[in-house]
Amino acid sequence: MSNYLGNYSLYIALIASVYLIFKSYLDANSENKYLDKNFILITSIQTVMITVSFFSLVAAFVISDFSNETVFNNSHTLKPLFYKVSGTWGNHEGSLLLWLLVLSIFLFIFLLNSRSQDTKYKLLTILFQQIIISGFLVFILLTSNPFKMLYPIPSEGLGLNPILQDPALAIHPPILYLGYVGTSIIFSASLASMISGNIGDKWARHIKKWVLVSWVFLTIGILLGSIWAYYELGWGGFWFWDPVENVSLMPWFCLTALLHTVIVLQKRNSFKEWTIILSITTFSLSMSGTFLVRSGILNSIHTFANDPSRGLYILSFLFILILMSILIFFFNQNKISNIAKENFILSKETAILVNNWFMMFFLSVVLVGTIYPIFLEVLNGSKISVGPPFYNNLLIPFLIPFLIFMSFGPSLKWIKDKLKKLNYNILIIFLVSLLISYVILTKTENSFLLSIPLIVLSIYLLLVTIKDFFVSKSSISQKISHFGFSLLITSILLNGLFSNEFNSNMKVGDERIFNEKVVKLKEVNVTDVDNYKSLKASFEVTNKNSSFALYPEVRIYQQPLTITSEADIKTTLFSDNFLVFNILKDDGYYNVRYQYKPLMIWIWISTIFIGFGGLLSIIRKNEQKY
Amino acid sequence: MFKIINLVLFLYFTFNISYANETNTKVDQITKNLRCLICQGQSVYDSQSDFAISMKLVVKKKINEGKEDKEIYDYLKNKYGEWIVYDPELNRNTFLLWSIPLILFVFGGLLIVRKVSIK
Repeated sequence: MSNYLGNYSLYIALIASVYLIFKSYLDANSENKYLDKNFILITSIQTVMITVSFFSLVAAFVISDFSNETVFNNSHTLKPLFYKVSGTWGNHEGSLLLWLLVLSIFLFIFLLNSRSQDTKYKLLTILFQQIIISGFLVFILLTSNPFKMLYPIPSEGLGLNPILQDPALAIHPPILYLGYVGTSIIFSASLASMISGNIGDKWARHIKKWVLVSWVFLTIGILLGSIWAYYELGWGGFWFWDPVENVSLMPWFCLTALLHTVIVLQKRNSFKEWTIILSITTFSLSMSGTFLVRSGILNSIHTFANDPSRGLYILSFLFILILMSILIFFFNQNKISNIAKENFILSKETAILVNNWFMMFFLSVVLVGTIYPIFLEVLNGSKISVGPPFYNNLLIPFLIPFLIFMSFGPSLKWIKDKLKKLNYNILIIFLVSLLISYVILTKTENSFLLSIPLIVLSIYLLLVTIKDFFVSKSSISQKISHFGFSLLITSILLNGLFSNEFNSNMKVGDERIFNEKVVKLKEVNVTDVDNYKSLKASFEVTNKNSSFALYPEVRIYQQPLTITSEADIKTTLFSDNFLVFNILKDDGYYNVRYQYKPLMIWIWISTIFIGFGGLLSIIRKNEQKY
Repeated sequence: MFKIINLVLFLYFTFNISYANETNTKVDQITKNLRCLICQGQSVYDSQSDFAISMKLVVKKKINEGKEDKEIYDYLKNKYGEWIVYDPELNRNTFLLWSIPLILFVFGGLLIVRKVSIK
C-alpha cells in the first residue's frame, strides 16, 4: 500500500514540476507584475506529494514491509525503532528521496520568504529550482526507485550496516543534506538575479540568509560526521582526508568564501560577478559530491552504491547544469552594472578578497587531491593514493600567512583604512602568545619545523579574537565564529603535537606501561544483546595516583555479518583517553590501541561556536550594522 | 626553469617530511602511510585485516634488516604499485597534482594585486 502511495506521489510531483517549468518560463517572458497564485499552490502540492512519498518510505521501514526492496535490503525486524527510521536515509534510494524532499521544501520556504522580491526574479528562481527538482525526480524514478516491489515477499530483511547504527550518524545525513541542498537555492537565485539584472545590495541582503542557513547546516553536518568517525570507526582521529569527507569540505570552503563576499556585495555593492561565480561553484561542488559518493568511483567507507548507470546519469545532469549556468553567466554578464570602484589595499574589501584567495587555495588542494587520482587512472591507468601527507604538506604552510591575515583583516574599515601606529595592545598580546607558546613547546619533544610559528600564531589569533569581544565594533556573530575558528586551529595543533598512543597485542591479565601510565586488561565478558553478540572488555588505566576504567566493546552483528569495535572514551575538558580493541585470530590475544588525545573536546566545541555564530546572524534582525 | 622549480619543490617537501608526526615506533610511522589494499579507505596501521597484519610484519622485518624508510617504500611500491603509499612522490605522473594548487594560488594572488590599488 505505502509502496503505491509513495510511488504515485512522486509521479504527481514530476507532473507538477514539468508544469511549473513551462509556466514559470512563459510567465518570466511576459511582463506580469504579480506572481500567479497558482505557483504557490502547485509548489505546495508538489512539496506535500514528495513529503507523502518520503513518509510512506519511512512507514515501510517502521513496519518492516519487506515487499519493498529498499526496506528488504536495508532493514531487519530486530532493529531498534530509531534505526528503522534512520535506515530510511541510510541507503542510496532513501537518501536521494531525502535530497528531493529538502529541495522542494526549500523552494517552498523561499517562495514564502521572498514576497517583496521582483516577480521575474522569483519566476526564474522557480524555473531553475524546478529544473533541479525534475532532474532528481527522473533520476529517482528511472534508476533508484525506493518503492520497487518484491514478490514473493521475504520474511526477513538483510539489515542495516551496523556501523551506520549510531545516533550521530542517524542525524548526520539529514543535516548535511540541508546544507548541500541549501546551496541549490543560492544557485537558482543567483542565475535568476543574473538574468533579471537585480544583483546588488538588496539582493545580497536577501540571499545572505540562505548562504548562512546552508553554511550552518553544512558546518554542523560535517561536525557530526567527524564525531561519528572519531568514536565509531575506531581510529581515534577526527579527520582522515577520506574522499567522502573531502567532498563535504569542498562546498564548505566555497560557501565560507561566499559568506564573506556576499557581505561586500551588501555593503559596497561590488564583487558582483565573483559572488555569482562562487554561488555556481558551491552548488556544483555539492552536486559533484553527490555524484562522487553515489557513483561508487571513490574508494571509501561511505560508498553504498556501485552502479555505473547512476553515476552516468548524475554526471550528465551535472554537466548540463554547469553548462547552462556558464552560458547564462556569459550571455548576461553585460547586465551587471559595475560602477568602477577603487579597492584600497588597507580595507575590509581587500581583506575579504584575501580570505577568498585562501579559501580557494584550500579548496583547490582538497579538490585536486580528491579527483586527481581518478583522472590519472582514466588517462594512463596508474593508480596512486593521495592521503594525509599530501594535504598536510600543502595546507599547513599556508596556514601561517592565513592566520596572520585573519588576525587583523576583520578589524579593517570599509573603503580605506589607515596604517595605524604600532598598537601596544597588539604588541602585548603578541608577547604573551610568544610566552605561552614557549611554555607549551618546552613540554613536547616532537615538534616539527613549522610547529613553532603555527603555535605562536594560533595562540596570538585566539587572544586577538578574545580581545575583539571587548573592543571591536563588528557583529557578535562574526566575533563568535572567528573565535571558534581560532580555537579550532589551536586545538587541532595542540592535539596533533601532544597526542600519543600505543598499539599492542594483549591477553586478559596483561599490563602495558606507557608514558607513566599502566594499562591493564582485566577481563572480557561475552553477552548476547538484541541483534548482536557483545564482547565487553574491562581495562584499568592507572596514572600515578589516580585510576579509571574503560570498557571498549566488540560487537558481532549477524544481519549482515559484521564486526564493529566500539571505542570507550574518557572525556575531560583537558583530554580524551581513547581505548579500542579488536579480536585477533591468535587465541586469547586482543589487539589493543590506547590513545591519549589532549583538547579533543575543544575541537567539537569550537566547531559548534563557528556554527553558532552563523545561527545568531540568521536569527538576529539588526545584523546590518557592521 | 623546470628543473629549478622541481628542485625547490623537492627541497620543500623533503623538509616537510619531518612532521610526519608523533608515532612512537618506526613501524607505526610507515604503516600509517600505507593503504590497506583490501579495505575501504583504511591505512595498514588502522586495519586488523589479514593483509594489514601481514604488511605490518613485512615492514617490521625490513626495519630489522636495517632497511631505510625509502628502501621499504620502494620495495612495497615495486610489489604493489604506487597505490599503496598515501604520500604520492613527485614524479611525471604527480607533477600536476602538487603544482596545480600552487599555480592557482599564485594566479589568485596576481588577480588580487591587479584589483587592488596600492596607495
